[in-house]
Amino acid sequence: MTGSRPGRVWGLVASQAAGRGGRVSAADVCAAAVAAVEVTGAWLSAARGAEAGHLMRVTDEVGEQLAELHLTLGEGPCLDAAASGGPVLASDLAGGESGRRWPVFAPAARQAGAAAIFAFPLRIGAIRAGVLGLYRERPGPLTAFQLGDALIFADAATLLLLDAQDQAEGDLAAPAGPGGQPADLALRRAEIDQATGMLTEQLGAGIGDAFVRLRAYAYARDLRLTDVARDIVARRLRLHPDPSRDGEA
Amino acid sequence: MDGQLLSETFVELTDTMVAGFDVIDFLHVLTDRSVQLLDVSAAGLLLADPRGELRVVAASSEAARLLELFQLQNDQGPCLDCFRAGRPVAAADLAAEAQRWPRFAAAAQQAGFAAVQALPMRLRDQVIGALNLFRAVPGAFDPADIRIGQALADVATISLLHERSMRHSDTLNEQLQTALNSRVIIEQAKGKLAERLGLDMDQAFSVLRGHARTRNLLLSDVALAFVDGSETLARPGAAQEHPARRDRLPPG
Repeated sequence: MTGSRPGRVWGLVASQAAGRGGRVSAADVCAAAVAAVEVTGAWLSAARGAEAGHLMRVTDEVGEQLAELHLTLGEGPCLDAAASGGPVLASDLAGGESGRRWPVFAPAARQAGAAAIFAFPLRIGAIRAGVLGLYRERPGPLTAFQLGDALIFADAATLLLLDAQDQAEGDLAAPAGPGGQPADLALRRAEIDQATGMLTEQLGAGIGDAFVRLRAYAYARDLRLTDVARDIVARRLRLHPDPSRDGEA
Repeated sequence: MDGQLLSETFVELTDTMVAGFDVIDFLHVLTDRSVQLLDVSAAGLLLADPRGELRVVAASSEAARLLELFQLQNDQGPCLDCFRAGRPVAAADLAAEAQRWPRFAAAAQQAGFAAVQALPMRLRDQVIGALNLFRAVPGAFDPADIRIGQALADVATISLLHERSMRHSDTLNEQLQTALNSRVIIEQAKGKLAERLGLDMDQAFSVLRGHARTRNLLLSDVALAFVDGSETLARPGAAQEHPARRDRLPPG
């Protein structure tokens, strides 16, 4: 029951990139998610720290308006998702619950053309990369299968945004796309999270940067992420702030 | 069966759900109490992730956690059977179960477990996880223990729905993902604290939980603040101190 599903989702993202003729990016996640999850449009906003920040990718004009409404009105499913760490599934913006929760945003979003919004925080524990927003012009919940896929698309967007931030800062050559062993990550083994926490101390880095370094180390040596994490947790491996000294005691 | 402890446990669990509430902390309490209340040596709790996987969210011991992970990795074992069938699955003597679960039976015995009882977590027609009880000695589980174990599994299910009424599955899925992300935050915080203070992961968890309890804070809030660097976990006026395990003590 594991393994094949993240692989399939990453395959959809990769073929989107191939059709475009570019490297796999967060834009491909949006486009592939719209088709696979059967929504009208999608947008990604990147976060730095706890704030839901600027708009990164958008598939259409309505999506762009919805992202902007969050920022101007200061309420909405995406902000709630970023705060809670879990998705916010508003399958009927005309319903009483949405109206109570977002009295200003809900009617404005409907006027913009959305009947349902599904917001997925791009988070791995304390690591915050942003929010993936999906909208439909007709109300109705996601099926269990669509929800599962949407969560995996959000995982993919998280990894791609983290890597993109890393590369933009001229840091390590971090892995992009499926090379980062997404299926492994999807299992979210506790060792990976524990090792990431340990690396914040070893590297004097934030949790997001520590995670990027962990993946880059595994990728550069063609090792499984879980194996590297296990070595770190067992204190057989240490990483240094200077990557050339990784592995020294 | 300790009747007094049983009723205290349910009072404690319902209190936790009314006041400041942290699902992961709650499920840890629940696995710990299962071990105290029932004639079992360890307990573990799995939840279904809508991504199509089961995840270990709480365990009373590292051995139980590893055994749960082992089942997931090998796609074999009583907890998976229980989850898929939505019914209790029991094995009174794992030494006799080599045919049913060849890899799991061997791994469980190696970890020191001789019998297992898996109980489903059900919400109407949906199975959302399983509570698994492990015992070091072979033998059938007491039917009274199984009934209480099932009641604990039912309380765990309800705990995932505490915040809002459960008119549709959206609420459950939102809660479940929030809980799973809290689990990740806590693991990240354990790693950071273990590295900083030279602790093992169980000790690090106890320090985090002790800090949250003595200050009446949510475990996941403390963990998040510690990972973000806004919380140092240092006690005012005290040098770095390692509180003893508080798991067995009631909160507050």
